[in-house]
Amino acid sequence: MRATSGEPATATVNVRPTRPRLGWFGPAVTAGLVAFTVVTIWDWNYGTGFSIREIFSVIGQKNPVIEAIGETDFGQLVSPRSRKKFVETLRLAVLGTVSGSAVALPLALISTRIGAPNRAARIAARTISNVVRALPDIVWAMLFVAAVGSGALPGLLALFLFTIAVVTKLTADTLDGIDTGPVEAAKASGARHAQMLRAAQVPQILPAYASYVLYAFELNLRSSAVLGIVGAGGIGERLENFRQFQQWDRLWAIVVMFIVVVFVVDRLSTLLRRKLG
Amino acid sequence: MIRFRGASVVYGGGVHALNDLNLDIDDGEFVVVVGLSGAGKSTLVRAINGLVPLTSGSLEVNGVNVPSLGTRQLRNLRAGIGMIFQGFNLVNRTSVLNNVLMGRLHRVPTWRTLVGWYPPVDREFAMRSLERVEIVDKAYVRASNLSGGQRQRVGIARALAQEPKIILADEPVASLDPPTSHVVMRYLQQINRELGITTIVNLHFLDLATAYADRIIGLRGGTLVFDGSGADADADVFENIYGRSLTADDTMAKAASGL
Repeated sequence: MRATSGEPATATVNVRPTRPRLGWFGPAVTAGLVAFTVVTIWDWNYGTGFSIREIFSVIGQKNPVIEAIGETDFGQLVSPRSRKKFVETLRLAVLGTVSGSAVALPLALISTRIGAPNRAARIAARTISNVVRALPDIVWAMLFVAAVGSGALPGLLALFLFTIAVVTKLTADTLDGIDTGPVEAAKASGARHAQMLRAAQVPQILPAYASYVLYAFELNLRSSAVLGIVGAGGIGERLENFRQFQQWDRLWAIVVMFIVVVFVVDRLSTLLRRKLG
Repeated sequence: MIRFRGASVVYGGGVHALNDLNLDIDDGEFVVVVGLSGAGKSTLVRAINGLVPLTSGSLEVNGVNVPSLGTRQLRNLRAGIGMIFQGFNLVNRTSVLNNVLMGRLHRVPTWRTLVGWYPPVDREFAMRSLERVEIVDKAYVRASNLSGGQRQRVGIARALAQEPKIILADEPVASLDPPTSHVVMRYLQQINRELGITTIVNLHFLDLATAYADRIIGLRGGTLVFDGSGADADADVFENIYGRSLTADDTMAKAASGL
């Protein structure tokens, strides 16, 4: 509404406010964090036993593992057994990512307030996603190895769950920020719930979702190196094998190979994700 | 036929958005609802397709009592009522055609929409809806690449794709400049006259209201304070609807020239 004539409408508005005083919260949290760090580092009964002197003395010592870097056995790069395990690692990462992402999309859709068909479905979806996320993939892998024996299957199951956890969480967060206008439009047109999700929500998050799937693939590729250590398949089995027999020259070859593959995949994935923008 | 009888809507917090409304709207009418923001225009329109439930009273739309409908029946009712929004409510990240196909969802099996494989008949109908608002050349363009006026025409096409008996337009031109507003209003008028679709439009500019309305309904504080032809609605009537003297902001022509 307009101000009535004769009264300067801006008289009470156009005054500079006094600068608000700094709150206590920010400084208090900062002080707390600093105190927490100091107490943790301090060498007392409940400390971590951390000492800078120790670090330097360790660095000075001769170390067969470090020395083996210079003698890296690049022959491993073409050894059939290592190559086979590498392919297995890639397959685990691809299969785990694809299957996990396929489950993650509908799970994310029904875990948001506007996407859930009802309260029970939303709580169920949230619970699944939270429970899966609570444990790191390596622990899932250990549990699956215990349950179904060692090999690629427990590794695949672990990556499957891990992908669900990561992609569901990220996608659900994106869904929380979408434009709800199309949702209202779909409802007003008499669309069924699933149709509304597909027509009004999925197109809005598809580029972000695709980007999360690629990101999950990058993570899974790394995880699959660790999975082998607990007997869940992939290149980690070779790493663990060489470590036990102290064949450091061979171990380093696997590490080099792994770094190269991860680097290439990361670059490709980043390029693709940028395109999706 | 739309029939409100003693219809009230009270929102949480005790706001009476609609107050004991009695109103009949016949098939094929072009009705403009006017009132200040907060007068209950949006609530009236959204009650008709059940987006806002009545707190008390009755509302009959095409022979069915809206408050008594279950989920599935409510979907059937909505399928026959097209809706046009102030903010267009298009999915910006997808094509114009996909947006219009949203108007066909009710007629297409769920699995087909999930895989995005709409039957040719429905795609054809969507195209024809776009032709009616003369924007079919943009069918494969992303909605985000359109101007405001073009987006609202896509919004109209989406409503038309439902083959509706009724079209509800909630402030369809509030985000548009005056020339574009007239273009959009003319399409709505043309659709009403040529297809005989009952059209109910919320507006807050009184010159737009009198220019296009066959019938004007005035709301103030959720209560019906005027119901008459566009010709009967003069300045006195609008002052009564608004509950204050008129200002330049109340007409689009003057508000625009004052910018």
